[in-house]
Amino acid sequence: MKLSFWSWVPGIDDAVDLWNAQHPKVQVELNTVPGGNQGTYQNLSNALKAGNEPDLAQIEYDTLPSFRLQQGLRDISHCLKTDTGDQFFDFAWKQVTFGNTGVYAIPQDTGPMAMFYRKDLFEKYGVEVPKTWAQFAAVAEAVHKQDPTVQITHFPQRDTGWFAGLASQNGARWAQIDGDKWLVNIDDAPTEEVAKYWQNLIDRGLVANMQGFSQQWNKALADGKLLTWVSAVWGNATLASNVPTTSGKWALAPMPTWKDGEHTAANWGGSSTAVLRGSDHPYEAAQFALWLNTDPDSLKLLNQNGGLYPATRAGLDLPFLKQPSQFYGGQHIFDVFAQAADNVDPDFIWSPTMTQTYASLADGFGAALGGDSTLSEALVGAQEDTITAMRLQALEVEPK
Amino acid sequence: MSLDTTESGSNHASGPSGRPARSENPSRRAERRAIVGLLSPFAILFLLFYIVPICYAFVRSFFVTTRKGAFGPAEDAWGGLSNYGQALKDPALIASVGRVLLFGFIQVPAMLVIALTFALLLDSRSARFKRFFRLTYFVPYAVPVVIGAIVWGFLFTPGLGPVADLIPIDFLGNTWVLWSIAIIVTWTYAGYNMLIMYSNLQAIDQDIYEAARIDGANAWQTALRIKIPLIRDSVILTGVFSIIGTLQLFAEPQVLRSISTSISSTYTPNLLAFTAASGNAYNYAAAVSFLLAMATAVLSFVFLRLTQRWENS
Repeated sequence: MKLSFWSWVPGIDDAVDLWNAQHPKVQVELNTVPGGNQGTYQNLSNALKAGNEPDLAQIEYDTLPSFRLQQGLRDISHCLKTDTGDQFFDFAWKQVTFGNTGVYAIPQDTGPMAMFYRKDLFEKYGVEVPKTWAQFAAVAEAVHKQDPTVQITHFPQRDTGWFAGLASQNGARWAQIDGDKWLVNIDDAPTEEVAKYWQNLIDRGLVANMQGFSQQWNKALADGKLLTWVSAVWGNATLASNVPTTSGKWALAPMPTWKDGEHTAANWGGSSTAVLRGSDHPYEAAQFALWLNTDPDSLKLLNQNGGLYPATRAGLDLPFLKQPSQFYGGQHIFDVFAQAADNVDPDFIWSPTMTQTYASLADGFGAALGGDSTLSEALVGAQEDTITAMRLQALEVEPK
Repeated sequence: MSLDTTESGSNHASGPSGRPARSENPSRRAERRAIVGLLSPFAILFLLFYIVPICYAFVRSFFVTTRKGAFGPAEDAWGGLSNYGQALKDPALIASVGRVLLFGFIQVPAMLVIALTFALLLDSRSARFKRFFRLTYFVPYAVPVVIGAIVWGFLFTPGLGPVADLIPIDFLGNTWVLWSIAIIVTWTYAGYNMLIMYSNLQAIDQDIYEAARIDGANAWQTALRIKIPLIRDSVILTGVFSIIGTLQLFAEPQVLRSISTSISSTYTPNLLAFTAASGNAYNYAAAVSFLLAMATAVLSFVFLRLTQRWENS
């Protein structure tokens, strides 16, 4: 029996090889594809239309609803034990079960968020590590005053998943399902508060206007012009590979919170392994997906090769996540992320038209960074565009 | 099939014998077969990958999606012109069309003047190292568009590229990014357009220049009064190409989007259609694409009519 599988996790072929060696009767054929939004989702949609989709595919949480709407996902709940979900983090399991209407994928990894910061430069400028967003803004002001070329961070115009994470930390509810109806509220009060906060930093020139992951950003980080990056667990590898010259100078702290003393965190990114509609062997495919994302040996390979952070609670206790990280001055950074993973809001769900929501938000953010508009107006625009996009998909939708 | 016809077309001298036909008939038939044979590789691909998808998109553009439930299956229903109605009142589409029109009004004439200047310089009697310069002007066109845009992106990034460091302009900012794209497009296509004009100049009978010289025309007068009017067909042709290219602007802004915060997902009409399609709004994307194709046809037609007056004068 052969199962086809699309994924873009670097080095996932080692885990697949391990499965194939252990399961001679169920061989998985891996197709390494570009990242989801770099064309794979489009190809997958087209494959579903043409009826030649693979048995399994990697799909990020924020895109799962879109593929469910395309009737692309198989409900594999009858292929799994009823307590399968208990081993996963609640917020991850909720993303694949859509309010207990079935199991539409197996969580693969998560992106709990924390704050990377330049320990050496924080000491140089004599500022404390901020615990709240208010303190974060105060640090931003203090360092910029001492050196006008230095900023606390950049405002990432196109990393709209980052902004969604921050909104969810504040209790936002962008989408909810009410029977047959979708309730959409991208400009709700918690999100609005996040937007106003960053607009204030933008207006005062305290955050840099540049794209995340760009050469310009790498250079600013390497030159010590940006002091922090509030990012997900996978960001630790991004920094280590993009700015190797800063090794040992970074440290990690929990992301700032809105109220002093609370521990709210957020999630940015993360994928699932989904069994697709046309699979002839959904049971075996489901077993592979479960093994891939829960087996200790597989999790180790996925972490070492691809930097994936397990979506299971047991996975976080694996020895390789208890090691100190040299790039972060020997800090046990995964302990910070493990704490964050426990504090992600499990009730933040995605709409089935996130592609358009993200595009609209990014456009609005660009206009705000250009000074033509504000982040709040971007939210209003994204709310309207999301409703339009959902109505184009003939969904019943109500602004809330 | 195409091979067969080509073969029989090539031995037309010994056409099928023993048929009661006029003497020229076999060779004419063979000629026709040769035409079909030589054209068919192009025609089949053109039909399969151009005409058929366009017809499919045209049909799709009249359909809308219907469904029931928060995750209900989609069904297609006849929607008449509703996708077109939606597109025509889409403020993002209107803004993107305005943007490329503004771009075209400035960039196309500028590029054609540069191309024409290069062509005339290369063609002038005093030009040296002609082969070298002809190649140099043309080389940017041989660089894949995406690679070119990435390299220019580096040049425009402050702190990384010399251009951004030498000229105190925010090339990737809100005000200038459209003209940064214009610089990339001009760099890419000026040499290509130059080559079309230059080939036309080369085809002009040298006797005309000699006559002009005898009549006392200097190099300037020859260029302005004789050369340019004689190659107006290729100038018009490059103009039409450029107008079409402008409306279809896609690769350069798409590449620059990853380094500039000022390029929206609906920056050009083509980007807007792409964004709609990647959000599974295929029918709407088809309608936008069709409107764009029609607008391109109308603009090219208007341009041709306007330039015909020049030709007639």
